[in-house]
Amino acid sequence: MSEPAITTSRLTKRFGTLTAVSELDLEVMPGEVVGFLGPNGAGKTTTIRMLLGFLNPSEGSCQVLGSSPSRDVSLRRRIGYLPGDLRVDPSMTGAELFSWFGKLRGGIDQRRVDELVERLGLDPGRPFGALSKGNRQKVGLIQAFQHDPDVLILDEPTSGLDPLAQREFMRLVHEAVARDAAVLFSSHILPAVERIASRIAIIRTGKLVAVSTVDELLDRARRRLELRFSEPVSADIFKGVPGVVEVDVDGDTAQIVIDGAVGPALGAATGKASLLRINNVGDDLEDLFVSLYDGSNDEVGEAR
Amino acid sequence: MTMLSVLRQMIFRRRTSLIWWCLGLVGVDAMWAIAYPTVRNNAALDKTFSNLSPSVKALLGLSNGALITSPVGYLDSQFYANVLPIVLLIFAVGLATWAVAGDEAAGTLELLLANPVSRVRVAVERAVAMVAMLLTLALVCGGALAAMAPIVALNAGLPLYRIVTAAVASALLALVFAALAFAIGAATGRRGIAVATATSVAVFGYILEGVAQQVGFLRPLRLLNPWHWMLSTDPLGRGASWQAFLLPLAVSAVLFALGAARFASRDLR
Repeated sequence: MSEPAITTSRLTKRFGTLTAVSELDLEVMPGEVVGFLGPNGAGKTTTIRMLLGFLNPSEGSCQVLGSSPSRDVSLRRRIGYLPGDLRVDPSMTGAELFSWFGKLRGGIDQRRVDELVERLGLDPGRPFGALSKGNRQKVGLIQAFQHDPDVLILDEPTSGLDPLAQREFMRLVHEAVARDAAVLFSSHILPAVERIASRIAIIRTGKLVAVSTVDELLDRARRRLELRFSEPVSADIFKGVPGVVEVDVDGDTAQIVIDGAVGPALGAATGKASLLRINNVGDDLEDLFVSLYDGSNDEVGEAR
Repeated sequence: MTMLSVLRQMIFRRRTSLIWWCLGLVGVDAMWAIAYPTVRNNAALDKTFSNLSPSVKALLGLSNGALITSPVGYLDSQFYANVLPIVLLIFAVGLATWAVAGDEAAGTLELLLANPVSRVRVAVERAVAMVAMLLTLALVCGGALAAMAPIVALNAGLPLYRIVTAAVASALLALVFAALAFAIGAATGRRGIAVATATSVAVFGYILEGVAQQVGFLRPLRLLNPWHWMLSTDPLGRGASWQAFLLPLAVSAVLFALGAARFASRDLR
């Protein structure tokens, strides 16, 4: 088995009395996408900024491609980075940025840049300041992918992207993985990563609370369903139904939170002829964080 | 191919701004040149200025005894001893603060540093770019003034190259304060502190140069004062000296190095 592309061991960052990241152990292998999930302020960006060498760890260490990120600057030629808060000189156009960064990385692959521009649908001649949020994000993605890096570190890459661009972005990640790149992909929402990540690492208040495969995690995640009926319903219909941990009825609409299999709850709901539709509000990650944090899910996955 | 691309990018992004600064200073040159004939023939002015206190004379660059109606006295007192260094200082402190701290505060530095460029390289290339732009501005300003001088007899008893020499000396004075702004900005990542400190030190130095003429116990401090290095050696009247040229360069180099070294190892903000 090859060496991990990203390794952190007991990685810790303190700002004064605040511990932003605490003893984080994580590995990302070549050809793997790891979704790095956590609520805002959990320490994702701090971790990523240590991986890029912008911050020095207070304790522990991290390695990218076998070397300390602050020590071996030349390694960054093989890293693609998308910051969570992308800022570019507002008067600079996408094309200018791609060509400048291309030079800094040892030569621009103009064909690749043109291809990415085409696929994501960006006008590279417009100044960054004149672009919409989504188009700015495309500029960030193109500069991260343009040199076909071996490691991609992407902080909230899908934020602001329209569905089409999101799909194209997912394809880009698939292609990168196919050529054995390692991808660390942070997000605060599960749907953004569940279809693409092979493993999910969940961080909360600076600590890694779970590392597991997506399937394992989805099994554990509580689901929140919204049920619409043609007439007002009573919360009683879910009384005693296994897995239903929360019921919130408002007239003809019921919101239920299900822990585990959804079958029994749906059985209880579909028993009512007045059921009009079922909306999957989402696998409530916030709920999952809470349950992981409470320890109600004991089997917290071991960091690999 | 990758040679100096951080430096070239910085200059390229600021080329228009630099051109406007140059045009502005050439305009100021023209104004002083146009005004000179009225001063030259006004002997009463010499009397007025010779009665000024030593402090004011020092600040006007007249402590060498030059008459205000002479080209040296006129250009020193109206331009080279005050307006030009201050304009150059504003220009250079702005660039020097942006070089690290400003770019960092704007959030745009981080993306650059994700590339295979070291922080020291970014700091050095941007410091060099700043110095190059500052010297360009000074040379254009001095060159334009030297070109206009013969028209109004501003070169009577004054070699034309000295007009350029003195402009460069002003730039080197400004450079010391710019290097201070750079160092503080690079070391702390705080733009506000960098600008405030560099500006305060520059103003303090300017006032000290005047006050120390009359307050004896402040005199030794002048040896540390970049204003003194330039004003007391009068580059316009007497040409280049190590105090007005080498000393500010050396001090600036030390400041740049200290700032870059701290920048290389600290956390980005």
